[in-house]
Amino acid sequence: MEGESKSSVDVIDEGSEGKGKELLVGTCDLVMRLLAFVMTLVAAVVIVADKQTAIVSIKLVDSEPPLDVPVTAKWHYLSALVYFVGANATACAYATVSLVLTLANRRKGKGMETLISVFDALMVALLFSGNGAAIAIGLLGLQGNSHLHWNKVCNVFGKFCHQTTVSLFTSLLGSTAFLLLLVVPPLLRLKRTN
Amino acid sequence: MASAEPEYKSSSTSQPPAGVDYSKVDVILRFLLLAASVVALAVIVSSDQTELVLFQKILVPQPAKFKYSPAFVYFVAAFSVSGLYALVSALASISVIQKPEFKLKFLLHFLFWDALILGIIASATGAAGSVAYVGLKGNSHVGWIKVCNVYDKFCRHLAGSIAVALFGSIVTVLLIWLSAFTIHSRVPK
Repeated sequence: MEGESKSSVDVIDEGSEGKGKELLVGTCDLVMRLLAFVMTLVAAVVIVADKQTAIVSIKLVDSEPPLDVPVTAKWHYLSALVYFVGANATACAYATVSLVLTLANRRKGKGMETLISVFDALMVALLFSGNGAAIAIGLLGLQGNSHLHWNKVCNVFGKFCHQTTVSLFTSLLGSTAFLLLLVVPPLLRLKRTN
Repeated sequence: MASAEPEYKSSSTSQPPAGVDYSKVDVILRFLLLAASVVALAVIVSSDQTELVLFQKILVPQPAKFKYSPAFVYFVAAFSVSGLYALVSALASISVIQKPEFKLKFLLHFLFWDALILGIIASATGAAGSVAYVGLKGNSHVGWIKVCNVYDKFCRHLAGSIAVALFGSIVTVLLIWLSAFTIHSRVPK
């Protein structure tokens, strides 16, 4: 019973120190929630604003000269990116709601805290799967797949791909913030003060 | 506050049934995650298929393998890791049932690693799912043709594997919920 009783002693006996730690946990929580909100918002906005038109020459018949055709790349042409935007928008909206709820219940309400961490776990899953989907498709666009004759498209749509990369990176930071939000407050709260 | 001993005793007398139940559920969920990882791996690794494909007017045997796509390679790597982790953490969880004094320490470690594994396998499922979706439907905007009409067995295996992977991700979310509930019920206010 050594470890457990020790730590519960620490948490209970702290008094003013415990209040300081509570404040630290609260601030940490708020800052990370804010960070997550900003990152997911930026990721969603950057990718929704992503659009590029490029001139591609297509050779229809071998004997004729190639035709120049303007081709547009938009984010909603790829279902993985649609899912990515959906995930980021959901996470962004949730970050706002949870920010307000955390601010409103700073002192009371352990039940609310549990509820929020339940939804945090869901957001981690949602955001990471969205990131995985978008990164896989982005890699496909960057490198293509010679076995399936899927050509790479990033040599044509350079700007589009760069913007997608930026968005992916930002979203990855946002999802890391959610991940930390899930892990760090319990760690800080239950860790022995020394 | 009086001495911590009565506080601890009262919490331990009121909590044992719930605590014990949670640990058992924890072990069961970890074994479910192990099973899901193993099944997903077995199904995707056995998905190789070779078909005759018309290429420049000649029929050429073209194999489809999971290792041709980086997304599926990541998927396999991620689920190998999660299977291994599930095994180790299930054993650790069983040992915690036998020695409850380390429960708090283990809970924090479990929460941290569960969250990390959730991130890994959720992104792997997303990656494999999105590539498989392109394979199923194709994408006319970028000229990626669908391949699932040719490689039917390959795609069936992929779909099965991704479904099991999704189940594994849900199990991991449940594991985190369990840890969160246990930790929040232990934090004194």
